[in-house]
Parts: sequence; C-alpha cells; structure tokens
Amino acid sequence: MAFLLVATWASAQQKMTNTEAETLKALVKTRASQKKTIVSDFTQYKHLDFLSNDIVTQGKLHYKSPGFVKWAYVKPFQYSIIFKNETLFINNEGNKSEVDVGSSKMFTELNNLIVNSVKGDMFDDEQFDISYFKVDAGSVVNFEPKDEKLSDFIKSFQISFDDKGDVDSIKMTEPSGDYTKIEFTNRVLNSTINDAIFNN
Amino acid sequence: MRFLIISLCLVLVSCGSYSKKYGLQSEPVSINTIENVYFDSASTDYVYKANITVYGNNFGGLLIVKKLAENNHRVAFTTEFGNKIFDFSFIDDSFKVNFILEDLNKKMLINILKQDFSTLIKSNLPVRASFKIDNFNILKSEKDKSDLYYYFSNSNLSKIESVKHQKPKTIFLFSEIKNSFAQKIEIVHQSIKLHINLKALNQ
Repeated sequence: MAFLLVATWASAQQKMTNTEAETLKALVKTRASQKKTIVSDFTQYKHLDFLSNDIVTQGKLHYKSPGFVKWAYVKPFQYSIIFKNETLFINNEGNKSEVDVGSSKMFTELNNLIVNSVKGDMFDDEQFDISYFKVDAGSVVNFEPKDEKLSDFIKSFQISFDDKGDVDSIKMTEPSGDYTKIEFTNRVLNSTINDAIFNN
Repeated sequence: MRFLIISLCLVLVSCGSYSKKYGLQSEPVSINTIENVYFDSASTDYVYKANITVYGNNFGGLLIVKKLAENNHRVAFTTEFGNKIFDFSFIDDSFKVNFILEDLNKKMLINILKQDFSTLIKSNLPVRASFKIDNFNILKSEKDKSDLYYYFSNSNLSKIESVKHQKPKTIFLFSEIKNSFAQKIEIVHQSIKLHINLKALNQ
C-alpha cells in the first residue's frame, strides 16, 4: 500500500533534471524582475491535523517594487499588515499599531522572504535546500530553510508556479506537519497602484 | 480598645467569604455536576478571532479549540497568517505543551494560559455549593486551589469567576450564545493587566 502511494506521488510529481531546474529558475527570475506591481486575491487554508475542517480566510495582496507589501484579510475578519520602509503597520479591525523592524535581523529576513515569495524568486541556495519538481499544471519548488531558528517553525516552503513562471500558491509546512496554504487568484501585474494603498 | 474592635471588624469584613461579600444567597444543592457546553461538541471546530491586551500592548490572532474525546481538548493559538504561537493538550487533569514559540516559553506565562484555558473548557466539575442572586443561579466548584463560581441565567452559562483567597482573580464572560456556541467570550484578569477578547469566526 505504501509502495502504491509512493508510486502515485512519484508519477504526479517528478523531479526535474538540472537543465529543467535552471530553465525554470531563469524564467521565474525574469518574470520577477518585470513585476513592478502585483494585485491579487488570495485564499488561505490553515490546516491543523486535529481540526475537522481547514480554517479558510480570504483577502487581497498589493505589492509595489521594490518592497511595499500590503497583506489584507477581508473575510471573515478585517486585518491588514503593511511592510514599508522597515516598518510593519498593523490594522487589527480598526486597531492600528506599528512596529519598527529595521533593527531586527529576523524581521528584515521575514520581510525579504515575503517579498521574494510573492514574486516567486526565493532561489537562494545559501538560505535553502531547494528541490524542483514537474507537475501536471506547471512546476513545484520546495525550499527547506537551513537557518535553525527559521526551521524550528517552518519545515518547508513549497511554491507552485504556472507555465508562465507566476506563483499559483505557497504552502508553508510546520515541523509538526500542519500547514498554511495560500492560493492566488485574479492576479493583475504591473497596473498602477497609488502609494496611498500602503498607508495604514 | 474601641479602635481595635473596629479594626478587627474591618479585617473580618474584608476577609469575609466571596459569597457573603457579593450577597449570594445559599440554596440547597440540587444537581451534582456543572456542565459547560461551550466546548463540548467533538464535531465542532471552535475558531475565534482573538484580541489580547497585555499591559497596554495589543495583538491579535486565532484561538482554536477542539474537543477530541471526553476530557480531551486541544487548544492552539496562531497568528492571522497561520503561524502557530502555541499548541496545548488538556487530557483529564494533565496538561501538555505540544508547541510554543521560543520567545514565549516562560513558565509563568504558560501557567497563566494553562489556568485560563483549562477553566474555559472544563465541564462536569462536581458541585460544592449552590447560590442565587438576582436572575442568576450560581454553582460553586473548585479546581487547582481556586474556587469557581458558575453563573447561569435562563440555564445559559453567562459567567465564570475564578476566586482565590475569596477575591475574583479571573472573570470569564460568555455572550451571543447560538446553539451552545458562545459567539463572544471575554477573559478579564483582575490582578494582572491581561484582557482576552474572543469573537467566533463564522465561516
């Protein structure tokens, strides 16, 4: 039975050759460098093994090069977080606060991680053990953090790319196996975004 | 001498029992156990948007409670992004930390959370005494050296007061009850500046 499962998994998800991996990397990097702005809806599924159903939340993402990100949940609650100029601006159902993260290495890394994962470009071999797979609808790349502090709470990031090299979904798996999966829909690239969007 | 007697009386009054201090009228005990139905369905995922204020700092997240079996609950807290902050198991009278962020791994904090959440989810506690005041029927029980007073209004549990040395230490308020699911819960600490607001996520 276990063998069957492995076999099925292997057929659905096939390891890329080095050449294929390099081609994908080049494609994603080129796409990422062309992304001046991104506006997208997202649906987040929080999977906890002990729950009967995943916790589903929905929202909207705004990204503007080089590093403005607004991550806003709209359903079933209102909560947004803006990354701008080394500061985190939080709006928790109207309760506004900000955190200066310029001095925190951890937050700077987290910020970079969010910006890079939104664009898809996380190909940093020093930071991650990276493996590349082909799937029916595109490709999947697995990033396992090498940093011990990060790997304590994230075992892997899995990014699914479509044929064009855009991010379809991100899955963050915890060491326990519980995970958060974010699926992007209605993505619009390089539209004009007013800076006021990034005001808290 | 008179001053001494007055002082003594004052001491006696301030040390008076919780039930006397709050004017609770004693009633004969008619039921054996206290039922808290708010986390009692194994088929329900109890998910709340949480707002926590601690010493003036405000932060949010999701509180998730699941009954896995009789006297077996899992209580987890995540950020809105889904990152786990802590994950506890309450099985019978035992308590286990499945996960907690390193920065929060402090004995005192874990103890407060353990007390709060075990009181929140506990059901079937033995009744030690029974009281009445206004529209409330009150049942008293005890747990971990604290007295627990359960306030029922129209047979809905609306408040739990955890009492130590005859003073309320933590107050749990339940409101907007829909099919045995408390849509709003407030946990208010009296001796530390900690306030937890929970609002059910209706998906």
